[in-house]
Amino acid sequence: MNKALRNPLIYGLFVLPAFVLFLAFFVYPILSAMNNSFTSWNGISKNITYIGFDNYLTAFQDAAFWKSVRNNVYFILFSCLIQVPLIVIFSLLIANVKRLKGLYKTAVFMPSIMSTAVIGILWGFIYNPDFGLANEILGVFGLPQVYWLSDKNWAMLSILITNAWQWTGFYIVMVLAAIISIPKELDEAAAIDGATGFQRATRITIPLVMPIISVVIMLSMAGAMKAADIVLVMTKGGPAGSTDVMATYMIRYAITSFRHGFGNSIAVLIFVFTIVLTALYQFFVARRTERIEY
Amino acid sequence: MKKSFVLLLSLFLLSSIMLAGCGKAANEGAPATNGEQPATNDKPSEPKASEEPFEITIRHTQVGESKKFRLALLEDVVKKTQEAVPGLKIKLDAVDSEVNRKEKLRGEMAAGKPPEIFDVFGSPDAALYAKEGLMLDLTPILEELGLKDKFTTLAPFTHDGKIYGLPIGGSIEGFFYNKAYFEEKGLKVPATLDELEKLAETIKADGKIPFAQSSKDAWIPLMTTNNLWSYYGGPEITYGFKTGETKWTDENMVKAVAKHQEWVQKGYYKKGELGFEYADMRNQIITGEAIMMMDGSWANSVFRDPAQAGDTVGKIGFFNMPPLKAGDPVVVMQDANNGYGFSSAVAEDPRKLQAVKEFIKFMWTEEMQLRGLKEDGVLPAMKMDLEQMKTTSDDPLMQDIFKAVSEIGTSFPAFDALVQAEVNTALSMGIQQIIGGEIDPVKMLENVQAAQDAANAAEPQ
Repeated sequence: MNKALRNPLIYGLFVLPAFVLFLAFFVYPILSAMNNSFTSWNGISKNITYIGFDNYLTAFQDAAFWKSVRNNVYFILFSCLIQVPLIVIFSLLIANVKRLKGLYKTAVFMPSIMSTAVIGILWGFIYNPDFGLANEILGVFGLPQVYWLSDKNWAMLSILITNAWQWTGFYIVMVLAAIISIPKELDEAAAIDGATGFQRATRITIPLVMPIISVVIMLSMAGAMKAADIVLVMTKGGPAGSTDVMATYMIRYAITSFRHGFGNSIAVLIFVFTIVLTALYQFFVARRTERIEY
Repeated sequence: MKKSFVLLLSLFLLSSIMLAGCGKAANEGAPATNGEQPATNDKPSEPKASEEPFEITIRHTQVGESKKFRLALLEDVVKKTQEAVPGLKIKLDAVDSEVNRKEKLRGEMAAGKPPEIFDVFGSPDAALYAKEGLMLDLTPILEELGLKDKFTTLAPFTHDGKIYGLPIGGSIEGFFYNKAYFEEKGLKVPATLDELEKLAETIKADGKIPFAQSSKDAWIPLMTTNNLWSYYGGPEITYGFKTGETKWTDENMVKAVAKHQEWVQKGYYKKGELGFEYADMRNQIITGEAIMMMDGSWANSVFRDPAQAGDTVGKIGFFNMPPLKAGDPVVVMQDANNGYGFSSAVAEDPRKLQAVKEFIKFMWTEEMQLRGLKEDGVLPAMKMDLEQMKTTSDDPLMQDIFKAVSEIGTSFPAFDALVQAEVNTALSMGIQQIIGGEIDPVKMLENVQAAQDAANAAEPQ
């Protein structure tokens, strides 16, 4: 067997099926999208006109596009600055509970297995201005009613909270698995040396799970860049485009208007922005946290 | 050596399976007409060919409980068509309306292989497909069947003077209102726009919401705006945007949009309506929270259904948006934008063409139109005697709708049938900004005009 696989021809032939699938379902669609992005194709016509970088210029000159980019940035910032710290805190708390750990894990994981449509409806009730839980809570503190999904000042935040609620549990389970895999001796030795719980968490546990936290941040960033379903379900990009992200901008201004060439250019931009962002993160941040030795 | 041979053999086997899986049936990839070719070549004699079994597909969107009557109607037509054409077998392909419109049909059109008969929206969809030569020109068939002048409007399905589709039903837009509340408070159906505003003021003073509206989907408030600008600027103004003869920035357009914004600012709509779904505004009427609601006549099915409307059944009426001055003609949006289209490939097969003709003959009859009205409350797409329509239902709401139809002085199609999709997007954005108080009517209409200019430039007249 080993001898056979040392033969480059046989090795190549074994790689070929997977390589063909990779070309057909990954490389070809990307190249096709890039090609279409330089056209004014309406998605139907056989006559395709090449218009150079016009689609890209249209996007770059459109304030609504940059507004959608800004909303993607909000998604990323909310994930990295609010969601990730919460994930770490909850993971540490759950890792240290003595009873019902399974119940907590299941409870936090539950939202991530629910359909986004269901979550949209569920949180739609929570944000309902008349009888929603969010306003009921505000009412207890004597605060005025908030139009969560109708007011452009609150709509984006409402979506970010819902999105965080949906995915936090998924990442908690990932970080929790990493925490549990840390040899107990390390924690016990620190405790014997007089380290407090907080010190053990910040000086031992968190540094040791940094690689997985780094992966969580990267996945959050990639997820934030391609976010669309939660926005469509909750606000459809409204009110007046205030919650549009790049993907919903693409649907609103390109796909529904039979501007597939323009739509493809937005898809390419999402792809490029995501690649650049994750590459920068990988280069400047993630590489430093990759090597952990117990 | 032996191992290498076995490995190579298994690799080839796997590759063959994969390639076979990726392949197509012999007749699948070829154009529909090619697929039919052998049958006609092998059987040159006419009688034999006509008995040969053949199949056509009808893509419809009659899915779910609410469309059961419409499905039954379609099934009856299918049965009659199959009986009339020897050898014909019709395959019904049910797909959700939105999925069909936005994904499935578009994909099939891009591949050049739509089903023989398919559910389609007139504008802008049918015009685009027709322009690419993918839809069958029905003009000669309608002339042959004597149906050409039988429809209220075929404008959404007409491209370059040719007809490419037929609407299944029609609708008008107007105000549903709480009749019981009107009677209790001694209120009357308004005769002018001014009276409508006074009515709204009275209702508001009574602590109720004058108009139910949900603007999460911009087409809902745009029903009101479209009817307002058709009074201020005249119904013909919308026809000129695409040709450049009229402008969105026209002072009458500004007045109409300003009026809509004024109603919002005066609190005639529920606060936060930009986040409400379509169903929410109907609920506002059903619960008695709001008193009037601008909607399409199709909404009658909700207010006539005890399961949806509860105690409100029988208490809801309907009136047209009144004109600016008493006695002026009533201008109403009357449209028929959804129906069936046919693949242009059908023209190359005489038997399929015959099947299509028979389908049209059985589907667009007075009997079927009245049946749709009676069972579903969908107004006929074909011209019909009002008295005859009235006989289909003694429901008070339907009688109100018939009365509203009889009062129409001038009708016009919805704006989205007359302007490009990009303009609709700009207008949708603009009306939400108007409701949110983010923009003034002049600036909003300038933005729409800019989108119109760009769309017109991209599409030489």
